[in-house]
Amino acid sequence: MPPSSPAVLQAHALTKRYRRAVAVDGLTFEVRPGRVTGFLGPNGAGKSTTLRMFLGLDRPTSGAATVGGLRLAETPHPAQVVGAMLDARALHPRRTARDHLAAVAAAGGMPRGRVAEALARVGLAEAAHRPAGEFSLGMKQRLGIATALIGDPGVVIFDEPLNGLDPEGIRWARTLMRDLAAEGRTVLFSSHLMGEMELTADHLVVIHRGHLLADQPLAEFIADRTTEHVRTRTPDRARLHVALSRAGLHARDDGTGALVVTGATTDDVGHVAATASVELSELTAVRDSLEDAFLAMTSTRKDAA
Amino acid sequence: MNLLASEWIKARSVRGTWLLAASTVVVTVVVSLIGVSGLLADWRAALPSDFDPTAIAFKGVLVGQLLLATLGAQLITGEYASGQITTSLTVAPRRAALLVSKLAVAVLLALVTAVVTVAASFGASQAALGAAGLPTADPTDPATVRALACATAYLVLTAVLGLAFGTLTRSSSGALAIVVAVALLVPALAPGLPGALGDLAATYWPTTAGQSSYATVASGRLPALTGLAVMAVFTLWTTLAAHASLRVRDA
Repeated sequence: MPPSSPAVLQAHALTKRYRRAVAVDGLTFEVRPGRVTGFLGPNGAGKSTTLRMFLGLDRPTSGAATVGGLRLAETPHPAQVVGAMLDARALHPRRTARDHLAAVAAAGGMPRGRVAEALARVGLAEAAHRPAGEFSLGMKQRLGIATALIGDPGVVIFDEPLNGLDPEGIRWARTLMRDLAAEGRTVLFSSHLMGEMELTADHLVVIHRGHLLADQPLAEFIADRTTEHVRTRTPDRARLHVALSRAGLHARDDGTGALVVTGATTDDVGHVAATASVELSELTAVRDSLEDAFLAMTSTRKDAA
Repeated sequence: MNLLASEWIKARSVRGTWLLAASTVVVTVVVSLIGVSGLLADWRAALPSDFDPTAIAFKGVLVGQLLLATLGAQLITGEYASGQITTSLTVAPRRAALLVSKLAVAVLLALVTAVVTVAASFGASQAALGAAGLPTADPTDPATVRALACATAYLVLTAVLGLAFGTLTRSSSGALAIVVAVALLVPALAPGLPGALGDLAATYWPTTAGQSSYATVASGRLPALTGLAVMAVFTLWTTLAAHASLRVRDA
């Protein structure tokens, strides 16, 4: 079912200052519908604080965090505009899953029938009558997601939704987020792990120490921040080296007996080798790990700060 | 109405709510009966000249008020303890409306609990007094009816006060500590203060004033409704402070 009101999240010069520290410092970015936006940053970067300001839980020191151009408290039907899961453990341990959702549904002005629907969607129909305190983390996560989706909101916000999940849970949550975006919703989820972004996000917003570092499509981020190399092995290294130099390509020994060629594709290297009649035993395209790129990016900023 | 329904579901769906309501009734009755039996043990020597068979039926309110205040506090401190408050405020970002709904549920629960508590405590105490041949209160006497109503109202106010302290402290133990200090410690210790300060505390301290509202024999202090009004005004101000705190502070 398509969301009733597609909307975008906007942060404008968003700043949150505490007595001794600045958590978020002049952030400006937009989150658009129809794609999964990953909100990436190391622990303590200000991700949760930013998400809490979007939800009106924390008040910005200056700037604004709006949903569809309005602060959440100004929207007429907040539960139908935005749904969020900030902490999967935030459930009363003695309250059953059904009662928990019934309370949220009532507050959001949703019909009671939504409760069973939402439980079924996340696969908790069987556990509806059990107190949430008995749930595993994965089940709490599912209940948290059901809670976020009960108003059929156009915008969903998840804080570290993949944290602590088993592989099956991670795949389930990923598929769900992709489905929600495909339905035209605005999906924003945070993580401190680059690896979690690669398979889930279409677009990245990267912050560090409250500052915006990047706001671009994931593919572009990867292309910009990592370099591609070609690794090749041959029984006749000297000849290949010469042939590559003649073709204007720079090759170096990687210390394991392979040659690493930067600034070239496997096609280029294969062509040079064939022309020079050099036998190849390996020809592989290699990309720097995105995790490394992300770490390099955040650690240089640390030095600069 | 949506929020009221939501808050009602939250309150009824945890066992603690019902345990606190039931123990308010039981503990109040038991403590009142202990008060009566303490009187029976030595009344032959001297029945106090200002013996008030109505007020003695509410001795247990001293303890029952703590339980009812905790019930009120739990309505919001339970949410802070679990983190549920973030969900509640996301679905209902208008914080005043959330607090008003919680107040309504607190008043409703406390009213039912207080009516049962007061009726049971009064009934049991009069039965015990009657069985011992002591003078009993006449439940048709307007003064007795007023005392019953005031005791009920006082208990409802303590639940509201509990919710307000819970909102301010965001912690069940914090709220309980304040309630104990306000309802027990200050009334016990403050009258010992020198001169006018002691007199003032013994008369106008909110819970002391509130408790004087359910005596039928004038204790030389405030008229019943004035006492209750002092308690009500104090509760109102605390609730307004809670509202301000909820609105201004980050969740």
